[in-house]
Amino acid sequence: MGSMLGDWPSFDPHNFSQLRPSDPSSPSRMTPTTYHPTHSRTLPPPDQVITTEAKNILLRHIYQRTEEKDLRPKRAATENLIPEHGCKQPRASPY
Amino acid sequence: MFRRSNIAARIFQRQIYTPAPGTSVHCARRFYENLVPSCTIFDVECPDQSFCKFTDDGQYLICFSRNQQDLIVYRPTWLSFSCKGEDCDAFDLPPKAKRFESFFTQLYSVSLASSNALICKDFFLYMEGNHYGIFATSTAPIHEPPAAGGAIQGIPYIEKITFHLIRLEDGLVLDEKILLNDFVNLTHNMGVFLYDDLLAIVSLHNQTIHILQIRDSGNLVNVRTIGEFCHEDDELFLNSNAQCLAFPDKSKLHRLPGNNVQNGLQHSQPNLEDSFLTGIKQRLLSFIFQGIWNEEKDHTLRVQCLKKKFYYHFRDYAELIIWRVQFLDRHHLLIKFGSVDGGVLRNADHHPAFFAVYNMETTDIIAFYQNSPEELYLLFEQFCDHFHAASRNSLSMNFVSSHSNNIHALEKLRCVKNKASSSSQGMRTSLICGSFGHMSVALSHNLISHHLRTSAVCEENAGLFFALQLSVTESFSLF
Repeated sequence: MGSMLGDWPSFDPHNFSQLRPSDPSSPSRMTPTTYHPTHSRTLPPPDQVITTEAKNILLRHIYQRTEEKDLRPKRAATENLIPEHGCKQPRASPY
Repeated sequence: MFRRSNIAARIFQRQIYTPAPGTSVHCARRFYENLVPSCTIFDVECPDQSFCKFTDDGQYLICFSRNQQDLIVYRPTWLSFSCKGEDCDAFDLPPKAKRFESFFTQLYSVSLASSNALICKDFFLYMEGNHYGIFATSTAPIHEPPAAGGAIQGIPYIEKITFHLIRLEDGLVLDEKILLNDFVNLTHNMGVFLYDDLLAIVSLHNQTIHILQIRDSGNLVNVRTIGEFCHEDDELFLNSNAQCLAFPDKSKLHRLPGNNVQNGLQHSQPNLEDSFLTGIKQRLLSFIFQGIWNEEKDHTLRVQCLKKKFYYHFRDYAELIIWRVQFLDRHHLLIKFGSVDGGVLRNADHHPAFFAVYNMETTDIIAFYQNSPEELYLLFEQFCDHFHAASRNSLSMNFVSSHSNNIHALEKLRCVKNKASSSSQGMRTSLICGSFGHMSVALSHNLISHHLRTSAVCEENAGLFFALQLSVTESFSLF
């Protein structure tokens, strides 16, 4: 069989008989696409190391709640002040 | 993708198709959909022993002798026979199917308890990695203990409790941990928690948490003891400072009240148990104080808040005792506090319970939940899997559905919660719903599921709290 499957066994010898392999003499027009970034804004910092957080999410959640409670009195004092940047919004408590 | 349920097709597919990474256990388990129990054998003559349980991985069957002094371990070998012919269903099982020995092979019988001690039948912990088992033997509990200093009234005491570490492959006793004149709630492993290789034992009488590590070599090593002291060098520090207290500087004598001076001169060391709260209690009270202090910025309001929320309840807080303990990870403990009455009861849901998260490394309390089930319930709803610490390493645990990782289970839980909340009328109800029935032995019990049941907390105008408990049980199927 001159198909590109070569001598591989098949249930039906007529399977894949219609398939014409590409002409090996002509160069393939298909080149795999390569992505070239147009900017370097999303490059990671050169010393970045990605590791798994050791603390499990339950404890992370508990620590976050504790920190929120600690920050609360500080935030209460700044509520009356005019924010410097218009885009900054006070963070609503999730609960 | 359509999955065929024919067993021959499944076996063929297993030959040619690699399962997704990490799911090989799950793929193997799916065969239980095809192989179902189809036969029950009755009236099998069993040896005269009390059967405890199978280990989680199914490798051993743990039994105790009738006199509760010996441990007998069997290997489940299971019966196998084959029939040749066309109509196999008509074949009866062979006579050997009615024998206990066809299914189990006795590996060994080890004597654990001496003459006056008995093995606690409800207590067994298993370390899957090393095939180590932990058993407990104890002498008979005495219900009227002498009032020793610092001991809690109302809790029975046991003269000697021994924890045995046994290698289940051959029955070798590797190590022992002995507690004298103490009480540990051994029923259904309530006073002990195993997390990987760390073991937490709650000594109710001395209000101490013993943390032990089970080494691969088979040694039980004391890691830390939390209770009276939190850091390892607290005792040294207090003792060295106690020497200074005993001999006060003469120039400062006029500042001390009369009786203290007398005590200082008469005794070489002041009685620390009377003057100091235990280390863990100190941490807890400081945390509560700090929390209330940080709530208000205005000094007058702060003081008012403190009076109302802290000093008014100071005695109650100071008299809280540790009931149970659970690991949340290798450095954090979840400690359940409560009143003296609920300490030994299994069904202590009627008593208010307080939960604290304690960091063993920094000896800080991270969070404290004062019988406010809503916050705790939300945590449990979102992070239920992280409260089940025991079978973390088991491969099958990746596939257990809980309401934290499965939207259908969560929906079901919320349905039950809403149903229960709409059932009470005429009162403003806030409903805390957790219906957690018996989970399989693969998941160890945890503090939260025992605490949370379906309950309605009703607040009347007079500010009285009372709780109605409706127990709703749900069964989760794991396989």
